[in-house]
Amino acid sequence: MQAMNSLLNPTQQIPLQDLQINGNSHHHQQIHVPSSSQFQYPTPTSTTHHDDSFLEQILSSTTSFPWSDETGPPNPEDNNNAGFNYDEMVLASKLRQHQINGGAAGNPFSTMKMMLMMQQQQQQQQMMLAGRPTVASAAAGGGITTNHQGGEGSMQALYNVFGDGSLHGTMQAKSFVGANSATEMTQSQGSGPTAGEAVTAPEKPKQRVRARRGQATDPHSIAERLRRVRIAERMKALQELVPNANKTDKASMLDEIIDYVKFLQLQVKVLSMSRLGGAAAVAPLVSEGGGDCIQTSANGGPHPRNSNGDQTPSANDRLTMTEHQVAKLMEEDMGSAMQYLQEKGLCLMPISLATAISTATSRSRNSMINHENPTNGSHLLIQSSGGDGPSSPSMSVLTVQSATMGNGGLEGGAASVSKP
Amino acid sequence: VKNPSSSLKSRFITRFLGALTKTNAEDPISSPSPTRIFQRYRRIKVASNKSMAYSVRSRRIWSRALLSRFRSRRSAFSGRRSSVKTTNCTTSPPPALIKVTIDENKTAKGGLDMQTDELRELVPGGEAMDVCNLLDETAHYIKCLTTQVQVMRKIVDFYHHSK
Repeated sequence: MQAMNSLLNPTQQIPLQDLQINGNSHHHQQIHVPSSSQFQYPTPTSTTHHDDSFLEQILSSTTSFPWSDETGPPNPEDNNNAGFNYDEMVLASKLRQHQINGGAAGNPFSTMKMMLMMQQQQQQQQMMLAGRPTVASAAAGGGITTNHQGGEGSMQALYNVFGDGSLHGTMQAKSFVGANSATEMTQSQGSGPTAGEAVTAPEKPKQRVRARRGQATDPHSIAERLRRVRIAERMKALQELVPNANKTDKASMLDEIIDYVKFLQLQVKVLSMSRLGGAAAVAPLVSEGGGDCIQTSANGGPHPRNSNGDQTPSANDRLTMTEHQVAKLMEEDMGSAMQYLQEKGLCLMPISLATAISTATSRSRNSMINHENPTNGSHLLIQSSGGDGPSSPSMSVLTVQSATMGNGGLEGGAASVSKP
Repeated sequence: VKNPSSSLKSRFITRFLGALTKTNAEDPISSPSPTRIFQRYRRIKVASNKSMAYSVRSRRIWSRALLSRFRSRRSAFSGRRSSVKTTNCTTSPPPALIKVTIDENKTAKGGLDMQTDELRELVPGGEAMDVCNLLDETAHYIKCLTTQVQVMRKIVDFYHHSK
């Protein structure tokens, strides 16, 4: 009996002691039982006592253990069985008594204790060899008791308790992992209520993780949740990179991101165009939607050349000619430059605004801009158009890089012409 | 803050300037023909993007896609049969997987799949990524693009100042 006590959890001494006191006398006969014969559990042919049926249930579930198959002498078997049953009944009554005495308040706890003890006993049963009859019988006794209390489902409820304790997926109560969690459970008695919940709601024999309140434990929904969280993280990171990121709506945020990427790609194009001449180049740019190229002549010299004669008349070339004229005029006199522009129906505006507008118009395919802004700095020439329908989606942006593009002067003529 | 001696920016600058000087050497600046100008523009743009992709190496999906695109293009110019499409296919998963991800987007995000598709077109190699990776790649791509723009702008300013 001391062995049993030491094997089981010391925190559960009370029921054990009860058991022991009464079981001591009856266990004597089992102590010296030869190892081979004690695990011949009663077959259904035995006395059809109420307790026996429960015993069978439990013991049948525990007979999956790899007991040794030796069949001892039948006589000791019968004795064992009889004694076994008797002992079990005694134990059961003792445990039940304790249960009743435990009171309503302590019921869940004591129930859990009982179950855990039983489970532990089962665990030890599993771990031990066939040479420990006493513990086996005690375990079986604990099993019976549990069955008395909770009915058929309590066995599975016990499994659920361990499922709760570990909060994992399926967990075999008969595994050593279960044993560890059992000890954890006993030590952390704060999980009592949850165990109580599990007890009161017996489920199918399959292991099931209890859901926390407000959350599903279905693996698909967990994956969904993870995915959503990850996407939210990435969106937040993008928000920091992209300017004007104060949008809370995911859709508008994505719009902003898309526009910004387009804008950056456009800038790379623009800048690579400007590199052609080196200094004070008048460089056209490929339109956004169409991909048709606007051709111009690059002037590498210090002053913008008048290349009117070089180009064949075409819409694009006219634009570049305009650009050249404007650049030339700008060097001489801002006023005349503006006049010239106005004749043509063009206007100047800062590049930053123009690029913003260009992205906006490319999105909405609608450009009705007529804006004049004769300040120094980088400017854009924008041609106003009448109703611009969706038939002309491409927008060509011409940029003329200036020497002081970043600084805000007009040397060399910094302007870009955009034609919707 | 990266180590300045080996940051993305410095790697890109070195490569790009090298490419630029090479282009300038091959193609004289003062050629008036518009087609030549356009070609030069194209070459510079490609050089810029390529330099950036090489600086990132293969650490990112978009850079890998860009690099494979450049390599296939080069091989196509040299007369081989390999088309851009086939080389891109090697980098992308089989169509079944792509379809799955697209359906996933539709069910999960509803109206946002239009924008995700658009984003896929913008970011190189974006067709074969799920939304999560796509956003990640977009962030890195934006960072690299801004670096590119910064550097190129500085070069332009430098050229103009030194005229």
